[in-house]
Amino acid sequence: MTTRASALPYGVGRIGRGAVALMVLLLLVAAVGVIAYVHQFRQGLIVTGLRDWGTLGGAPWGVYIAFDVYFVGVSFAGITVAALIRLLNLQHLRPISRMAELLTIVSLMLAGVTILADLGQPLRGIVNLFRYARPQSPFFGTFSLVISGYLFASLVYFYLAGRRDAYLMAQQPSPLRGFYRLWAAGYRDTPAQRRRHERVSFWLALGIIPLLITAHSTLGLVFGLMSGRPGWFSALQAPGFVVMAGLSGIGHIAVLAAIYRRFLPGGERIDRLVFRWLGMFLLILGLTYVYFTLMELLTTGYAGTHKEQELARLLLLGRYAPYFWVAMGALALAIALNAWQAFTGRWSIALVVASGVLVNITAIGKRLLIVTPSLTHGALLPYEPGAYVPTWVEVAIILGLMAFGALAILLFGKVFPIIELAPETERERKEALA
Amino acid sequence: MPRYAMTIDLSRCMGCRACMEACKVENATPEAHFWMYVFRFEEGEYPNTRLSYLPRPCQHCDNAPCVKVCPVGARYKREDGFVLTDFQRCIGCRYCEVACPYGVNYFHWKEPRKAQYVDWGQDQGTRQRAAGQSPPWRKPEHEQRHGSERRLTVGAVHVKGVMGKCTFCVQRVEKGLEPACVANCPVRVFEFGDLDDPESPVSRRLKQSPHFRLLEEVGTQPRVFYLNGAPPSAETRQFYPVKGGKGA
Repeated sequence: MTTRASALPYGVGRIGRGAVALMVLLLLVAAVGVIAYVHQFRQGLIVTGLRDWGTLGGAPWGVYIAFDVYFVGVSFAGITVAALIRLLNLQHLRPISRMAELLTIVSLMLAGVTILADLGQPLRGIVNLFRYARPQSPFFGTFSLVISGYLFASLVYFYLAGRRDAYLMAQQPSPLRGFYRLWAAGYRDTPAQRRRHERVSFWLALGIIPLLITAHSTLGLVFGLMSGRPGWFSALQAPGFVVMAGLSGIGHIAVLAAIYRRFLPGGERIDRLVFRWLGMFLLILGLTYVYFTLMELLTTGYAGTHKEQELARLLLLGRYAPYFWVAMGALALAIALNAWQAFTGRWSIALVVASGVLVNITAIGKRLLIVTPSLTHGALLPYEPGAYVPTWVEVAIILGLMAFGALAILLFGKVFPIIELAPETERERKEALA
Repeated sequence: MPRYAMTIDLSRCMGCRACMEACKVENATPEAHFWMYVFRFEEGEYPNTRLSYLPRPCQHCDNAPCVKVCPVGARYKREDGFVLTDFQRCIGCRYCEVACPYGVNYFHWKEPRKAQYVDWGQDQGTRQRAAGQSPPWRKPEHEQRHGSERRLTVGAVHVKGVMGKCTFCVQRVEKGLEPACVANCPVRVFEFGDLDDPESPVSRRLKQSPHFRLLEEVGTQPRVFYLNGAPPSAETRQFYPVKGGKGA
């Protein structure tokens, strides 16, 4: 906008007409979500398609839980990428580290809100989930641990990793200078400070990794420990959730990185090598997930109980087959795209992005398939089979949350560099200052 | 401390569902909530079909999956065997319902507007017969704290957004009465009592009759014992299931 602000790197402080239009659109979608939630809050969960299983023939969990799992899954990417950069010194990925961390924070917040949307007593939930927290419940992992541990650690990491850039940004006159000073909080990028910073970030990254595996595993345990629910009770649930989380998260990063590369001034720093890495991650994780799925189906088909086999048939050939095959087909296509690129050694950004979108289709499909069929058709007593179709309220709330997440990421990029400032810029700046 | 348990004699049950009715009246459960439910089963092909009935209250398991998974300890197991729900602590996540293999949990999807199974206020015929004297549906004993823990429990206290299920009629048992389903069965299918007392009706029936527990293989260790019958098999079909309606 102003000439002063336009000097800031990576489009910080500049809002074009396209961005405003996009923000208005996202705000509108988010507003519809808020209206839907107010409606649900007043009327109760009766306005959703959820119902009791058993005599009422419904599914008590549906898209809210599926998307909660999905959002927590997406969060996997950020801290993993950041930690890989620190621990394995993968410097090529540096330009995407901040957007990855931001994605983690935003998706974790969305996950927390999605859980609240699912609760019958949300206000009580906010208090009681902490006040009476029971680590014996697998649910502890999805809310108490994810929110209080994982999100907090990620925020601290994000804050620390951004201090150097905040200091550099504060050197330039801009309306946001006070904000940058506040973030830098006395950091001056001296060699001693930088060393200390590196050390703290390294140990924090190392500490976050077990927290991350725990958080994603407990999410799998929410389902995997239910001995009375055919289709859920499996030791593979937890590792499967970790791998699927990696897939959806890395897929998201690929899409986000491509958007910034295309539209951000200076976005070319996200080079082809970044996408090669992301494509390789997607390939390895995708193959692992296919392997897990095959093992699961083989175990069920060969040795499963009557009910488990019935559910597997329902997935492969029955009522849920279209969803299953679309989800697995998307994954197969994503694997094929990346395998072909790895084989030829020529990586195309468009193809990596396409595989990123495809694995997210798989992720959403598989999440819905994990939650619903075992509830509608998994009764061990001879109840009638149930059905579940989400209502507009559920769809509006989920879309609203996604719009809100996109808006948060978009706005952040307008006030803080979404790509870490390059060391050259820093040297130039120091020279300029001298 | 007694160890309460229930026996259900399947050879006596004729599927009249009077226990379901008694439960509804006692606990004033909202529409489509069946804390006690009686399956009507059929097996085989015509003309060689066999009918059987299986009442399904909450099994008040010793290793209750619902208690284990509750993230806030609202679903709790008492020392004397009752598995109950603290309606002021429940956050409505429905994890207990998902974890339970018996389908005994009923969530309050909305504020129950109808006061009782029969809505005394709206049904004109009933109103005329009652001559304006609507019987009380809120029972003070339901809203009191129960047991040595002095905790609240969902039982005729129906609040939007929390879980409810069979309480073994804790409010009656603590007064020395039998649960409503036990007391109202016309052919004495049910017995209720202390497992530690060898003279209690449940102990005597368990000694006399072959019995099984429902879905014991899941590891729940139920406190409900079924006598003189067999658990449903993969061929068992349900007939005349209750109509759930739109839910409440």
